[in-house]
Amino acid sequence: MSSKTTGRPLFGEQQRFMLLLIAPAAVLLTLFQVVPIAIGANASFRDWALYNPKKTWVGLAHYQAVLSDPEFLWVVLPNTFIFMIVSVAGALVLGLALALLLNRPFAGQKLVQTVLLVPLMVAPVIAAIMMRWMFNDQFGIVNAVLEGLGLDGQPWLVERWTAFGVILMTDIWLWTPWYTLLLLAGLQSLPREPFEAAAIDGTSTWRVFTHLTLPMLRSVIVVCVVIRAIDAFRTFDIVWTLTGGGPGRSTELFSLYAYVLAFLSLDFGRGSAAAIIGGIIILVVGAVLYRVVDRLART
Amino acid sequence: MAMVKEPLLFARLPLGARRLLFGLVLFGICFLFAFPVLWLILTSLRLESGVYYVHRGTEFTLGNFAEVLQDERVVEAFANSALIATLATVFSLLVTVSSGYMLSRFQGPAARTWFGTIYVFRCVPYISWVLPLYFVAQSWGLYDTYTGLLLPHIAVHICFFSWLMKGFFDGIDPSMEYAALIDGCTRWGAFIRVALPSAVPAIAALGVLCWLFTWNEFLFALILTGNKVPVITVVMAQFVTEMGMRWNLMAATAVMALLPAFVLALFGQKYVIRGLRL
Repeated sequence: MSSKTTGRPLFGEQQRFMLLLIAPAAVLLTLFQVVPIAIGANASFRDWALYNPKKTWVGLAHYQAVLSDPEFLWVVLPNTFIFMIVSVAGALVLGLALALLLNRPFAGQKLVQTVLLVPLMVAPVIAAIMMRWMFNDQFGIVNAVLEGLGLDGQPWLVERWTAFGVILMTDIWLWTPWYTLLLLAGLQSLPREPFEAAAIDGTSTWRVFTHLTLPMLRSVIVVCVVIRAIDAFRTFDIVWTLTGGGPGRSTELFSLYAYVLAFLSLDFGRGSAAAIIGGIIILVVGAVLYRVVDRLART
Repeated sequence: MAMVKEPLLFARLPLGARRLLFGLVLFGICFLFAFPVLWLILTSLRLESGVYYVHRGTEFTLGNFAEVLQDERVVEAFANSALIATLATVFSLLVTVSSGYMLSRFQGPAARTWFGTIYVFRCVPYISWVLPLYFVAQSWGLYDTYTGLLLPHIAVHICFFSWLMKGFFDGIDPSMEYAALIDGCTRWGAFIRVALPSAVPAIAALGVLCWLFTWNEFLFALILTGNKVPVITVVMAQFVTEMGMRWNLMAATAVMALLPAFVLALFGQKYVIRGLRL
């Protein structure tokens, strides 16, 4: 965000006005986030089955169970981090390329821009349904095209890594326009002079890109990356609709793991423990990323 | 990085060929981006028998839409989604505009604490608070009700939108508000009559985003509602598993769910692009 803050407080000592402005937001935040998190934290220390909440204290047993679950350690966590990194990096590179493309004027630029922004309006659930249909092993268009080309169709959603690939592709497709939008706005607000000077000096396109465009876009890129990384960590809907975490449980991400524990295994206590562990992980990642943003934005 | 190497090859070609190549690349990219949606629309217009012969179906029909609309649950889900998205947009704008204004115009411990709180809660994964919210909603009698779905949808946008709103207000010169105060305007008057009108484009951008986010949201409804308040995303996800093989109906429902978002985004696009300059 731009930080053209006004320097000193505008209205002097206006505590009451200040608090009234944030009161509705603070009340809602307390009721619907703080209170539930407290209840979840409480439940994570208790024997709390969904339909049989005995609520007896079990200490750290749920945390131990989650942290020693090989499923969580060797499938869910790696999946979540691979997903986060590939999704953010893939969409960033694609989004940047498209933003650079759209940044120069050409006939039909507006139309192309509108088409490229289409995925932004598509609900993740719908995107997942579309991909599930396109990658259907019997009737899907992807296999039909492959067979038309004389290649073998693949049972895409039945094997772990192809299924994971389809999930990643769906996510990158969904979020690339978001980067394009923000980076294009950033590109359009850059000053012209350095680029004109570079053009006069006959600097190569690649050098202009690495030495001018990228450094000048850095703060926008960093903000995009932080926000998206945090959001990618909690992805639920596309995985739920595309594979339901399957085949087996091999494409489960952290949100799905907590959901499955609480609502399918009906162990609310352990699900809450998993949700809290995930929350702590992302808070640490978020804090580190925030530091990085802060440092980069200042230099 | 094809983007980068291209100009080198590019430069040696005559102008006409360059234009043609550029056009082809553009067309290719657009086609790939739009293809999933186009394919969905095509599927929704096909007969059930045609759906399963990818390269043979040449007959088209609107029957799928008619059949889907006969399902009361689907119609109800559309109405619910629209209602909740609209109400959530109105209320969440009311709440976040004032909170963003506070963040922008005040400094000091209170503003810093609020900003820190917002950042932390922006990072908390949905599942960490929506999972226990299930119990909260049940004990408050909000489970499977409109209010019970609406309030979390308002709460979820507080953090991100307050943050964006702060950015917008930061870009608006506060000296007009000073002037209004000196002229005897109250603080509320300065906020509502002076600051708000200049923030209208930003508010419009947030309104469009909020409506889209709420319309598209899935996890809240999955956890916080049962049968009484069906919303469209959950109904569709159930379709995939329950009547998974009837792809023509599935596609028709999805196309109808895309429509309002498309219309809104087409009209709101310019506000969003203008409003989102970071």
